[in-house]
Amino acid sequence: MNLYHSKIHRSLLVKDARTQQRNNAELRFRAYGLTAVSVGIVALVILLVSIFTSGMTAFQQTKLQVTLELPEAKLDKKGQRDLVAMKKVTTIGYFKVLGDGLIAQLERLGIETGLKAKEVREILSKESAATLRNAVLADPSLIGSTVTMEFLANGRIDGYFKGRVDRASAQLDKNVEPGQLDIADALAERRLMYTRFNFNFILAPDASDQRPEAAGLGVAILGSIYMMLVVLFVALPVGVAASIYLEEFAPKNRLTDVIEVNISNLAAVPSIVYGILGLAIFINMAQFNQSSPLVGGLVLTLMTLPRIIIPARAALKSVPPSIRDAALGVGASRMQTVLHHVLPLAAPGILTGVIIGLGQALGETAPLLLIGMVAFVREYPAAFTSDSGLFGEASTALPVQVFNWTQRADPSFVERASGAIIVLLVFLLIMNALAIFLRRRYERRW
Amino acid sequence: MTKLPIKISAKNVDVFYGAAHAIKSVDVEIADKMVTSFIGPSGCGKSTFLRCINRMNDTIDVCRVTGDIMIDMEDIYDRRVDPVQLRAKVGMVFQKPNPFPKSIYDNVAYGPKIHGMARNKLELDEIVEKSLRRAALWDEAKDRLQEPGTGLSGGQQQRLCIARAVATEPEVLLMDEPCSALDPIATAQIEQLIDELRSSYCVVIVTHSMAQASRVSDRTAFFHLGELVEYGYTSHIFTNPSDKRTESYITGRIG
Ligand SMILES: Nc1ncnc2c1ncn2[C@@H]1O[C@H](COP(=O)(O)OP(=O)(O)O)[C@@H](O)[C@H]1O
Ligand SMILES: [Mg+2]
Repeated sequence: MNLYHSKIHRSLLVKDARTQQRNNAELRFRAYGLTAVSVGIVALVILLVSIFTSGMTAFQQTKLQVTLELPEAKLDKKGQRDLVAMKKVTTIGYFKVLGDGLIAQLERLGIETGLKAKEVREILSKESAATLRNAVLADPSLIGSTVTMEFLANGRIDGYFKGRVDRASAQLDKNVEPGQLDIADALAERRLMYTRFNFNFILAPDASDQRPEAAGLGVAILGSIYMMLVVLFVALPVGVAASIYLEEFAPKNRLTDVIEVNISNLAAVPSIVYGILGLAIFINMAQFNQSSPLVGGLVLTLMTLPRIIIPARAALKSVPPSIRDAALGVGASRMQTVLHHVLPLAAPGILTGVIIGLGQALGETAPLLLIGMVAFVREYPAAFTSDSGLFGEASTALPVQVFNWTQRADPSFVERASGAIIVLLVFLLIMNALAIFLRRRYERRW
Repeated sequence: MTKLPIKISAKNVDVFYGAAHAIKSVDVEIADKMVTSFIGPSGCGKSTFLRCINRMNDTIDVCRVTGDIMIDMEDIYDRRVDPVQLRAKVGMVFQKPNPFPKSIYDNVAYGPKIHGMARNKLELDEIVEKSLRRAALWDEAKDRLQEPGTGLSGGQQQRLCIARAVATEPEVLLMDEPCSALDPIATAQIEQLIDELRSSYCVVIVTHSMAQASRVSDRTAFFHLGELVEYGYTSHIFTNPSDKRTESYITGRIG
């Protein structure tokens, strides 16, 4: 027998069974991957669509224009324009005046209604009385004259223009009468009631349960910004210094191993634990103000530190050792080696880690609930006061505001909560875009 | 054997990486204004011993050096010696060209800057030019001083590293397989450069190429398994080795 003939001839043009099997396995694997990615994308799209459809309307608000007299007899009985005396008239008094003005305006316009005076007045937001009162107190000369001003409409009327309320649901809702909707329609026809972009949603402070139409994110955004500043200015230097020390200077021994393992563990500790820690350390022991961005920021700093240290160490580690050798070889000290050569090369990675850590801190809710940042705050917190120090005034934060609004009874707050989530997402998007930009900009090849 | 003044003298040097004994009681005297090469199979401790001479081993936690190494009769492991100062006096060129990811100019100027060798920009410019000329890179680099050093070819990068090393005015130049990542033409250029450096420095070069050792060096030391087996004139070692192990290595039986 010839050996040459004993070997079966195989053509490359025909796939053998094994190859076919391997190809099929690969196809299946790709299909699994594609399915997983698709499920993820669909979930994301559903999430975004649901948030945006229910939240975008928060950036719009229904307002109405009222032309009314400001009778001296009711607003400043003594007629002396003395602010102290004028302040005795509360928003209840102003609400009457405003309501009467609205009723008079309807009469002038010839809009007929079978509603009681109280029901007509309630087309206006409760907040509108405060708007009027503040305007009058700011400029007492308005008293006695006739003014035209813009006021917030009641949340239900606002809901009517946004499609949340209709006549059928108004019938069942004791907070709104179909007759009020008729008036709203009549005013809208005369362009005295309209829906506009709502700057106050971003700028105004929170409002009480009864006036969702006036609630805004101003205090929450300010509080979140303050906390991010605290995190940035505490966690960044501490985190980077710690990573540099651990990566470049610390001897490799049992102790540093233990520290290393614990940093990884800390990054995985549930955030609420940091809230308990913060409560004990910063509020009970250090006696910092409850609900203050300082405490919130410090708690978030504790939480963020390991999440900064881990990527920062990875970034330092990824700088090739040959660069360190080169610097040490020409007689640079270890400090110079790190500051002049290693750190600049690791900077993009470190910054990316820092920004992602900040992003996580920005969205964190649980630890802030524990330190009282969920309180109802209407005053804008000052960055510094001599009484409460740096970032010491009570505040809330964006994610806590979302949580807070979802707890409230009035359905108008659902819209507000979704709107707040949109604002939060925009902030996160900006931060992540910044991270990507920095990485692209400063990434170097070696 | 030595007529020239001794620059580096090592007595009874042992090096341990943790428990591993990498260098075993090595005695050697290295002359000034000469090229000395260390040869031996890979893992025998050539780099380890070289890195003792500028105390680069200090940066390795587990590394422990015992014995005496003197440069100009001064113990470099004395407690009063600052390794940073030592490394300005003992320059080093590494196996893989490792320029800083900065401009050619900054690569060379970095050492003089941190050691305060120039009082102004003009002096610094002079040092940079002189060093690049020494490293035979000036003509190629003079028009692109602000371009990144990492953009040069491998051979040019290695010459840039040599320029960087000589910029701090060292007296000793340590080279750890400086040509192993280079092509033959770049290797020839570096070898020629080493030949020129001989007149001003005490050059110690680690190489795995015996041809290179015989071409560039005056003295050769053969290391095997952490021991210094044989040390002498290069011509002597390559033609008439006295130790069996040296003979097997140069004839290609160990390696
Ligand atoms: N950083 C280090 N840590 C532990 N062992 C090392 C280290 N560097 C080198 N060694 C060991 O020391 C011995 C000598 O290595 P080296 O000096 O690099 O040899 P050569 O340069 O001659 O190839 C080898 O066995 C190597 O494994
Ligand atoms: Mg080596």
